[in-house]
Amino acid sequence: MLSTTIIEQLKNKLGPGNVVSEKEDLLVLGYDSTPGIHLLPEVDVYPTSTEGVLAALEIAQREGLPITPRGSGTGLSGGSVPAKGGMVLCLNRMNKILEIDEENLTATVEAGVVTLDLFNATAAKGLFYPPDPGSQKISTLGGNVMEDAGGLRGLKYGVTRDYVMALQCVLPDGSLIQTGGKSVKDVAGYAFKDLLVGSEGTLGIITEVTVKLIPPPKDKRTLLAYFSDIRTAGEAVSKIIAAKIIPSTMEIMDKATINCVEDYVKIGLPRQMAALLLIEVDGHPAQVAEEAAAVEVILRQVKAAEIHIAKDAEQAAGLAAARRTALSALARVSPTTLLEDATVPRSLLAETFAEIERLTAKYKLNVGTFGHAGDGNLHPTVLCDERNHEEMHRAHAFYDELYDQVLAWGGTVSGEHGIGIAKKEYLARQIGAGGVKVMQRIKHAFDPKGILNPGKIFADDRE
Amino acid sequence: MPSSEKLGNFTAQDAPTYESVLQCMRCGFCLPTCPTFALTGRERSSPRGRVALARAVAEEKLEFSAAVKEEAFFCLDCRACTTACPSGVKAGEVMEVCRSQAQQQSPPGHIANSFRSFILQRMLPDPDRLEMSMLPARLYQRLGIQWLVRHSKVLKLGPNWMEKAEGMLPALDAPLRPQLPEITPARGEKRGRVGFFLGCVMTLMYPNVSRQTVRVLAAQGFEVVTPPTTKCCGAPHLSEGDRQTARELALFNLDLFMQAEVDFIVTDCAGCGAALKEYEELLESEAAHDKLVAFRAKIRDISEFLAEVGLRTDDLQPVHKSVTYHEPCHLCHAQGISRQPRALLKQIPGIELREMNEASWCCGSAATWGLKFSQESQQVLDRKLNNVKQTGADLLVTANPGCQLQLAWGVREAGMQQEVMHLMELLGEATPEG
Repeated sequence: MLSTTIIEQLKNKLGPGNVVSEKEDLLVLGYDSTPGIHLLPEVDVYPTSTEGVLAALEIAQREGLPITPRGSGTGLSGGSVPAKGGMVLCLNRMNKILEIDEENLTATVEAGVVTLDLFNATAAKGLFYPPDPGSQKISTLGGNVMEDAGGLRGLKYGVTRDYVMALQCVLPDGSLIQTGGKSVKDVAGYAFKDLLVGSEGTLGIITEVTVKLIPPPKDKRTLLAYFSDIRTAGEAVSKIIAAKIIPSTMEIMDKATINCVEDYVKIGLPRQMAALLLIEVDGHPAQVAEEAAAVEVILRQVKAAEIHIAKDAEQAAGLAAARRTALSALARVSPTTLLEDATVPRSLLAETFAEIERLTAKYKLNVGTFGHAGDGNLHPTVLCDERNHEEMHRAHAFYDELYDQVLAWGGTVSGEHGIGIAKKEYLARQIGAGGVKVMQRIKHAFDPKGILNPGKIFADDRE
Repeated sequence: MPSSEKLGNFTAQDAPTYESVLQCMRCGFCLPTCPTFALTGRERSSPRGRVALARAVAEEKLEFSAAVKEEAFFCLDCRACTTACPSGVKAGEVMEVCRSQAQQQSPPGHIANSFRSFILQRMLPDPDRLEMSMLPARLYQRLGIQWLVRHSKVLKLGPNWMEKAEGMLPALDAPLRPQLPEITPARGEKRGRVGFFLGCVMTLMYPNVSRQTVRVLAAQGFEVVTPPTTKCCGAPHLSEGDRQTARELALFNLDLFMQAEVDFIVTDCAGCGAALKEYEELLESEAAHDKLVAFRAKIRDISEFLAEVGLRTDDLQPVHKSVTYHEPCHLCHAQGISRQPRALLKQIPGIELREMNEASWCCGSAATWGLKFSQESQQVLDRKLNNVKQTGADLLVTANPGCQLQLAWGVREAGMQQEVMHLMELLGEATPEG
């Protein structure tokens, strides 16, 4: 329990409505979308300005209170869960779009702006912010930057990191820094901005983000291909990339995922098929026509069971929206959905699907797989019940063995969800003791007292 | 969701099931659809937060506390989160059951309780008594509004609620129920026999809407049976957490309409329709399963019904108006009916349908929510009216009396031009006398 003095001080600085410490509030800010992780903070604050963040941090610093930043709590590795209690700092009330600069093609937003709101606001001005994580309707820009969120368009347009131009950030020592700017080029000193992107809230608290905008593609076409064997779908993806075609989107769903998504969206997805690929090519109309034709040729070569072309933009948007619900829709089947974020070089997709199939049988599990096939980024999801400890044990063994293979192939344990609490051991396996030590030293340089989002990414070296 | 075994810190009677709360995987897809989360930005006032609270009560991490009760009643029960949830979690239903828990675990004080049981257990279950209270409207005001005035503190009604309650009351005509014949014959080629479920608010406040519903049904070739002894559907009781009275009413209506030998049971009140479609679950352990399934299979909202059987449009006369359509939560979210009212509007010659933004966002009425949280309700309403305004349409059409009361009042207060109508009034206007 925190002393009432600290609560009062916070209320004085942030406003009484922006500080909550009732048990019910604490209970609902101790989770994100990661299954099985629920820890309790001692106080929640909702600052509405950078000054509010500074004030909260100053009090936390003085009291030695751990502080965990949080956007909308849609993370999938426990990044915004208060691992060591203390204060959860919710940024969702800092949700103003501050500027859309049409001369420099940038947008500057507060950290709590919802990703899709930024997309819509820039689209209204004829501009395009490409990163579109599955949770774009809910996720915040601050959270996207801290987790370096990807999305469906990552294949052609890259991920959040590729669009961050400047950050305003509060450091654990209470200083406010600006890093980066609207200049296209900037090599002045260490690239703090790039260090902060993907740092999972362990180095600083982002309060403002400036992102790069681009002109939207003039045309696009969406293809849907069905497969009777998921490995063939993997082969198709590798061949399309090898043919030097970069679609904007190349998403895969397996049979289990197709059925769960169809249960929810009811748009006539093929329930009996082993897999489907959702492929979108965009750009200049001539290029779109050429690439769509080339993709179709490859799909026929590998013998896709069926090939369909979306009849209009509305149908295409419906398909992408359906894909975005995949993870949540899988949760219809079982109380617990344990998902991973394995990413491999794209030429190895077919082998990865084969490995997932083998391990699913070996550990007698129910697994649904979907993901950003074009990025080699798959989300094999075990559909299980957290009350069944024996099943959970098998699920973890499944991932253990899968990750051994993924790392042997030169892949990574996380393509876009981050390490958080959930994957610390896997990270250590990937980068080794030396790699972890370097990360700990960087963390120490920013946060010598270890108050900022402690317990994430790697074990604390002082533990 | 009745369960025989006690779950955690819930009582055994009318508690959420553990599965219904465990199903939430906390993705947050519900957050941007929740009016109370949009108002507060506070996680516990979101569907995800509310389900997490219910789960904590089930897991004995939390008592059924005052804050849980508060959230159960702050939830609008608009069910937008149910539509948005890919995992199939029904946060609104979980909160509705929690309202019953609230009544069981922390019953309201004596005065509030006597008022509550007066309305829920004496007035609403008895159509005669209800009509007596409305005739003349003065008496209604004495019985209703004065009671509310006296007990506004214990009922925790919001500031300025009385002004709003009086302002919302439409010009009252005589209740429809005693005027409607039990059997209204079909006109033209007969297409079937339907039962009409006349809701309490419809007969008392919007008799002219339901008169048009029956007239249109007859003109469309249906013999309409309106059982005069129909009781309240039970929706207000479910909403206030009195599931026992709701079950008694439901059992009565179930028997009444199953004896009437009708092909379908049609209603023009989205709130009633949603409640009638939930009888199957509500009466699970009280009535034969087959009977409940058969009853459920007959229930239709009027727009759902007309779109399904196909509207005879040959005789329709044109109405040259532009229309925007507000989707009642209990139609689009609770019953999944969005396409059909629009399809009917487009079939009326001369009507131009202009879609508003966020047509399926709540209007802030939500049974007594609009009076309990009058300031919050105003904010939700303002958002809706702003979207209406942008369409510049002549008419604002909806399909539920609660929405109609709130929107008509809001439009008038805001000095807007739109006439607020029920879909069936418009269809009635297009249907010639005959």
